[in-house]
Amino acid sequence: MSVAVPVKRSRALTFGNLWISAAIIVVLLLYPVFFGKAMNFGVSTVIFAGLAMSWNILGGWAGQTSLGHAALLGVGAYTMTLLAIPERGPAWLQALGIGHGAAIAPWWGILAGMVIAVLLSLVWGALTFRLQGSYFTLSSIAVALILRLVAINENFTGGSQGLFMPDLPTFFGLDLFDRKVEYGLAVGFVVLTLVITHIIRRSRTGYALQAVREDEDGARALGIDPARMKLIAFAISAALTALGGGLYVIYLQAFEPHTLLELPLSVQIALMAIIGGRGSLQGPVIGAVVLAVFGEVFRNLFSSANLLIYGVLILAVTLFAPGGIMGLFSRKGRKLGTAR
Amino acid sequence: MNPDLQAFLQTLVQGLLTGGIYALVGIGLSLIFGVMRVINFAHGDFLALGMFLTLFLFKTLHLDPYLSLLVALPLGFALGYFIQRFVLSRLGDRLAESSMLATLGLGLIVSNMLLLGFGAQPQTINVPYANNTFTLGGIQVSVALLVAGLGTLAAIVGLNLLLYRTELGRAIRATAQNPLGAELQGVNTRTIQAIVFGLGVAFAAVAGVLLLPLLYAYPTVGETFTLKAFVVTVLGGLGNLPGAIVGGLFLGGVESMGSYYISNNYRDAYGLVAFLLVLLLRPEGLFGKTVKRV
Repeated sequence: MSVAVPVKRSRALTFGNLWISAAIIVVLLLYPVFFGKAMNFGVSTVIFAGLAMSWNILGGWAGQTSLGHAALLGVGAYTMTLLAIPERGPAWLQALGIGHGAAIAPWWGILAGMVIAVLLSLVWGALTFRLQGSYFTLSSIAVALILRLVAINENFTGGSQGLFMPDLPTFFGLDLFDRKVEYGLAVGFVVLTLVITHIIRRSRTGYALQAVREDEDGARALGIDPARMKLIAFAISAALTALGGGLYVIYLQAFEPHTLLELPLSVQIALMAIIGGRGSLQGPVIGAVVLAVFGEVFRNLFSSANLLIYGVLILAVTLFAPGGIMGLFSRKGRKLGTAR
Repeated sequence: MNPDLQAFLQTLVQGLLTGGIYALVGIGLSLIFGVMRVINFAHGDFLALGMFLTLFLFKTLHLDPYLSLLVALPLGFALGYFIQRFVLSRLGDRLAESSMLATLGLGLIVSNMLLLGFGAQPQTINVPYANNTFTLGGIQVSVALLVAGLGTLAAIVGLNLLLYRTELGRAIRATAQNPLGAELQGVNTRTIQAIVFGLGVAFAAVAGVLLLPLLYAYPTVGETFTLKAFVVTVLGGLGNLPGAIVGGLFLGGVESMGSYYISNNYRDAYGLVAFLLVLLLRPEGLFGKTVKRV
């Protein structure tokens, strides 16, 4: 995978990308105007778009394919929910007077979840980034599955029954269970991931990340510490994924570990980003939307076998369009076949 | 016999027999990795395919599950051969990463096709001997598990003969060691690679057949076994065949002991923890030669 792609700074390209991002945000904002009746679809699709963008910071920019992101999503979701339900929370938290009797508002809960996710990612990354390529992917699956077993078997997480949020406080006077509010928050999430990706892309860190992705030894020769760069990418990715996880379970209101922490969810997030175009700016959003639309179109035909289309598309992408959907539109992606 | 000792031996035997099946699953994965440096993420799904093939033959033709080995082996081989020859070989040089994604996609296609064809409901077959056990020195042994263990043994012996006693085996080993060198000696490495992938898939399918009398079949059962295969092969060292056998037995033993002496709820976690520890501390595997770390 070490075909050298020149990392070129092009002003024209930057403006073009800004316009594409702006257009995506406008389209997302217009969706409720035309499809006000299909808000469930809208909210989940936009949240997944944000999750795929978050995955892309590690998977696309740092080139580390994680198939364990459901764990980070779960950390955000569980932390927020456990803190929001007064009678929940592990005993030691209750002993500290936290989470007992007084519910903690979901926005603080999400923030706490993000902090925990970052800490987890730093430990996780420090241990596993010594492994390269497929080995990192294998270890990410293992870490996520161990967390899933904990969520299923421990009492404080609600066991295999999962958790249910009966009510939530209003957010600046807005009802968090109102689909329109959730949609707004989800779009905000995507905007945040887009802004962060734009900043990373043109920052020193971003160039270092791309260097590490293309040629780790080469990057080291330039004085870049690959392990540190990957850790930074992982931490950012983890924080954003936990944020998305919190939003996702507000949308779900009730969830169980079998749906939230399973391997298929990690795979789904990763494949959305890769099919859309890993390492591209807006590819993950495009991938998430395309896959969600496909899923909706084929819902009646395939019912529960909705991951079939993921399988077909990822196979097609690896065989014919290594740059993903976005790669099809850039000469670099088509020619070198490694825009990622 | 001392009841504590008896429980220990019972747990150990149970674990080792299960481990035999893990070894069989792991060998296929390790063989493919050893020759092509490809980690096959669809491995467990091919096992599920073997299970459902057996189920289908039993329900339609009342074919004895063990007789369907005769069908699963050649079909599995043909499928694997076809996939490598016409799909994976097209990935060219962008190998490690894209073959991982491509096999992940293949696995999703297989498991979801099974879901469309058979439904999500766990299914099993009723054969009279499925639950038979016999007692040996105070230790109960399940007949189906023993047959699976013997099947594993036969497969391992067969593979060994193939690899070390035939011209084809020599070509396979040459391709594993140095594809270019093998090519220069007149080995058609594309065909060899297809044969190896075919063998790997056939092994997975055979494991599926042997498992069906013991386990419920459901379309996503493969996911579990893909992971078990990863654990087994990493424990033994990726690409190291004897290592995969020991890794399988080790995993079976650890799971069995862990769930008996610690907690049954975390049965799947013991192997994963061992897996992570080995990945971190000895990436070349428990028994592998010390190689240069990646």
